[in-house]
Amino acid sequence: MKTFPHGIHPKGNKERSANVAVAEFPAPEAVSIPLLQHAGKAAVAKVRKGDYVKAGQKIGEAEGAISAAVFSSVSGEVIAIEKRPTASGHCEHVIIKNDGKYEEEKLAPLKNPAPEQIVRRLADCGIVGMGGAGFPTAVKLAPRDKVDAFIINAAECEPYLTCDYRILKEYPREFLMGAQYMAAALGLETFFVGLEDNKADAAEILDKAASDNNICAKMVLCHTKYPQGAEKQLIYAVTKRKVRVGKLPASAGVIVCNVHTALSAFYAIENGEKCYKRIVTVSGGGVKTPANFWVRTGTPVSAVLDACGGIGDAAVKLLIGGPMMGFAQSNGDIAVTKTTSGILLLTADEASAEESGPCINCASCVKACPMSLMPVYIDACILSGDVGGAEKYGAMNCIECGSCAFVCPARRPLVQSMRLAKKKIREKGGKR
Amino acid sequence: MKNLTVSASPHVVQKSKTTRSIMLDVLIALAPALVMAVLYFGYHALLNAVVCMGSCFAFELLYTLILKKDFSRKAVRSSSCWDCSCLVTGIILALNLPRVIIVKSWDLNVYSTMPNVEGVRAVDYVAFSGDTLILCIIASLVAIVLIKMLFGGIGKNFANPAAAARVFLFLAFGLTWANTMGLGSALPASTGATWLSGNKLTNGDNLFFNMFIGNRGAAAAGETCMIALILGYLYLSVRKVIDFRIPLIIVGSAAVFALLFDGLPHKLTGARLVNNMVAHVMSGGLVFGSIFMATDYSTSPNTFWGSVLFGVGIALFTMLIRVFGGYPEGMSFAILIMNATVPLIDKFVYPRPFGYYKKPKEKPLKALDSPLPYNETEKGGIKA
Repeated sequence: MKTFPHGIHPKGNKERSANVAVAEFPAPEAVSIPLLQHAGKAAVAKVRKGDYVKAGQKIGEAEGAISAAVFSSVSGEVIAIEKRPTASGHCEHVIIKNDGKYEEEKLAPLKNPAPEQIVRRLADCGIVGMGGAGFPTAVKLAPRDKVDAFIINAAECEPYLTCDYRILKEYPREFLMGAQYMAAALGLETFFVGLEDNKADAAEILDKAASDNNICAKMVLCHTKYPQGAEKQLIYAVTKRKVRVGKLPASAGVIVCNVHTALSAFYAIENGEKCYKRIVTVSGGGVKTPANFWVRTGTPVSAVLDACGGIGDAAVKLLIGGPMMGFAQSNGDIAVTKTTSGILLLTADEASAEESGPCINCASCVKACPMSLMPVYIDACILSGDVGGAEKYGAMNCIECGSCAFVCPARRPLVQSMRLAKKKIREKGGKR
Repeated sequence: MKNLTVSASPHVVQKSKTTRSIMLDVLIALAPALVMAVLYFGYHALLNAVVCMGSCFAFELLYTLILKKDFSRKAVRSSSCWDCSCLVTGIILALNLPRVIIVKSWDLNVYSTMPNVEGVRAVDYVAFSGDTLILCIIASLVAIVLIKMLFGGIGKNFANPAAAARVFLFLAFGLTWANTMGLGSALPASTGATWLSGNKLTNGDNLFFNMFIGNRGAAAAGETCMIALILGYLYLSVRKVIDFRIPLIIVGSAAVFALLFDGLPHKLTGARLVNNMVAHVMSGGLVFGSIFMATDYSTSPNTFWGSVLFGVGIALFTMLIRVFGGYPEGMSFAILIMNATVPLIDKFVYPRPFGYYKKPKEKPLKALDSPLPYNETEKGGIKA
């Protein structure tokens, strides 16, 4: 079975929402759309208070080389532009009052597009990596190195999340064609789809869809192990290539994109639709009716949760994203963005709230680390102020997947130590 | 609005493994050895274990309370002794001691009627030994306070507490394993000199069988019965508390060193050579130490290859002491010596990050088997 060294086996908990079909989530009365929904610089507001916007109209212009445009998700009047909290910080939000008409602004569909046209279109439609990082896809598809493999990351190794799985099952044709367009943008005719072997049924559906639509795609089943969906780990599992430390995947000749990105790319190219809605998994022990929804960006998380039974007494943690790398929120007043793959409510039983004890040197973290680092030493070094030691044991290569903290019997907050170490090393001017 | 917890990722943990659960696993794995110790050496082995565990626990609790200058119930509850690692130290220490130890100048022992026959030593007829219990408490003090807590408690001690305490008793009180045969034990144990303190070249009647089930005379209480130790080893391996390869490496390399140092120089051949090797492996504390003491987390390297170095070193020093040294048994010395090398091993043996490369030299990319169109793949479609 294809996989990568080390890694962990958290409980999947995907059965809660895996078989719930994707439903359209009704747009709320007002949406607050963050202008930073991607990696890089925030978009600059293009509309002013009082403007009337259509769904799909550009309200934020990409700023700088690494940025992405932001679009309105409903039609209506801009009632405010103000700073609000996001899942992991603050940024300007455009608040639009929904007039309920959903007048849409679309681009003309592209027929047999050239690679440059595809990249242009993905930038025009504001498509970013929808797995969580939100790296602008147009930038990713114009690499400096020569690329000879394109991988769709359908591993979805985070527990609970099922949005990618639902796409594979419900939109196999759209997804595969979108991926084919993206491969074409890289000058490739074929691509790989990397899945965990717990999604073998989806792989069968994809194979059928690929043969029906004459698409050259190879489904690669990988071992169900976290973090199988981490970029470097998936590249290794699928192609046996190791991305060198400190380098981008393109340096190994590989580009990896998320499932949802490919689906959005399909809609952008075939229908001219802008990227302003996405599939979100609502799950966790604190959610009464787990669901997968098409949610328009800017919809408050609390509204989505209310549709699934609200934040009950059992819930202790609200997460945006998966339980391993997601962001905990104190309340549901933030907006769904292009990168919100999941909204989870965890109960006290599911979430960890134990106090950390002293390190017992068991080296469980060393055996778990998919990047072959020494979390035990990095933790000890950085807590005693030894920045050089933390650098020596590879802190800068940490992907913050949380495997070390997951297995730690003493419940050490290792990921926090890693982040602290990275910050200190950067301040010192160190590199990978 | 309900208050939700905000914390850094990851938000889920492996619930099944905590420091305490690991320590309880080790206690469970040691249970068969304790049972066999009681069967072979009588109730005093159990008494020693209880006293050692109790005093280790008490010393750690007292130490934490005294250091915090807080004797409230809350301080007791938050003491580190509840992680049970002190109990593991206590039971390993007890199983590393003979049934009774007599200190001549104290002699707080109760003897059963001793036949007035020449050649019978008092130690064979001790019904209850106050000396042993006092030594147990002293050894626990050394193990917990001197070796473990003074260096920072769990995970910070540089030497294995039980091994250090055993060596302390060995050197300070002239502890000897000789003729610690149990009185009133349920199973017949052979008397006489141990294989290691003899000339090591003999092969008595059913030597291997007796050694395997633990029927040998002078020994530490817990180290005799191979079956019990192997049960514990399997349990720890299955529970993934220890790396199953490490004890195998130690025992395996010990066998090789036995061959090199003892078997071949004595010009043993054929069956006698193998006998010598196997007897070396099964005698003394080699198996017990390699399963329960050399795999101690804080005093062993953190990487697999570091542990291999560590294990081979233990086997080497054990055999050197056994064959060339003045002591019949060298496992605890070997463990202590190698404990001292762990920081050095860990300094040099650590993994390189995933994708590490030495020179930024461009290498040709590995060729890919390019994905075939569907109609050319095998039936069933999925090629994993």
